[in-house]
Amino acid sequence: MNSLRVARAALRARPAAFRVPVQRRGYAEAVSDKIKLSLSLPHQAIYKSSDVVQVNLAAESGEMGVLAQHVPSIEQLKPGIVEVIEESGTTKQFFLAGGFAVVQPNSVLSINAVEGYPIEDFSSEAIKAQIAEAQKVASGNGSEQDIAEAKIELEVLESLQVYVK
Amino acid sequence: MTYAWKAAGLTYNRYLAVAARVVRRSLKEEPRLAAERRGQMDLRFAKWTNGKMGEPQNVADANAKAYAEKASS
Repeated sequence: MNSLRVARAALRARPAAFRVPVQRRGYAEAVSDKIKLSLSLPHQAIYKSSDVVQVNLAAESGEMGVLAQHVPSIEQLKPGIVEVIEESGTTKQFFLAGGFAVVQPNSVLSINAVEGYPIEDFSSEAIKAQIAEAQKVASGNGSEQDIAEAKIELEVLESLQVYVK
Repeated sequence: MTYAWKAAGLTYNRYLAVAARVVRRSLKEEPRLAAERRGQMDLRFAKWTNGKMGEPQNVADANAKAYAEKASS
């Protein structure tokens, strides 16, 4: 009889003790510290709303890093590198040929580009050969449009050369 | 800020196409062959006036002509 009463008291005491840690729910726990990244090309989606920690962009207005809860903005991208720091901590680098990055509210980031490849896919010989060719056209006496196009190519190649060894 | 390509009459669309072309050409052999096909474009158009079809033109050539006309200098 006496032992039964002790058991019932223990039964009543236990749920109260378990409830305590659940009662506090701070702001930091409610907000995710990841960004949902979509990196899409016309022919392929490299990231499809994947959770990543940080994304570094080469925008026309300057280099920028995007973390969770970034201010919404639209950035025109330079032909340049995009660095993605994934959840596991590994960093991946892609070279994009220009496009737009849209930072949406609630940690959603969409990057649209015409052409983009992992940095390992580029060949330094091809870049060097093209720089020589573009320089020839840029300083030659072609039409104004040909020279302008050669200068665009030079701009892209020179930023590529920094990353491809 | 005005870009040099804009002063030469090029559109943003053309700027991106040139940048994408050079990126594709800088790739290693294997991905390059797969990618370069994406850069090919062969479109033609013709202007119809009074129910008659005009001379068919290549879009790329017509665009190049339009850029030259739009150049500011």
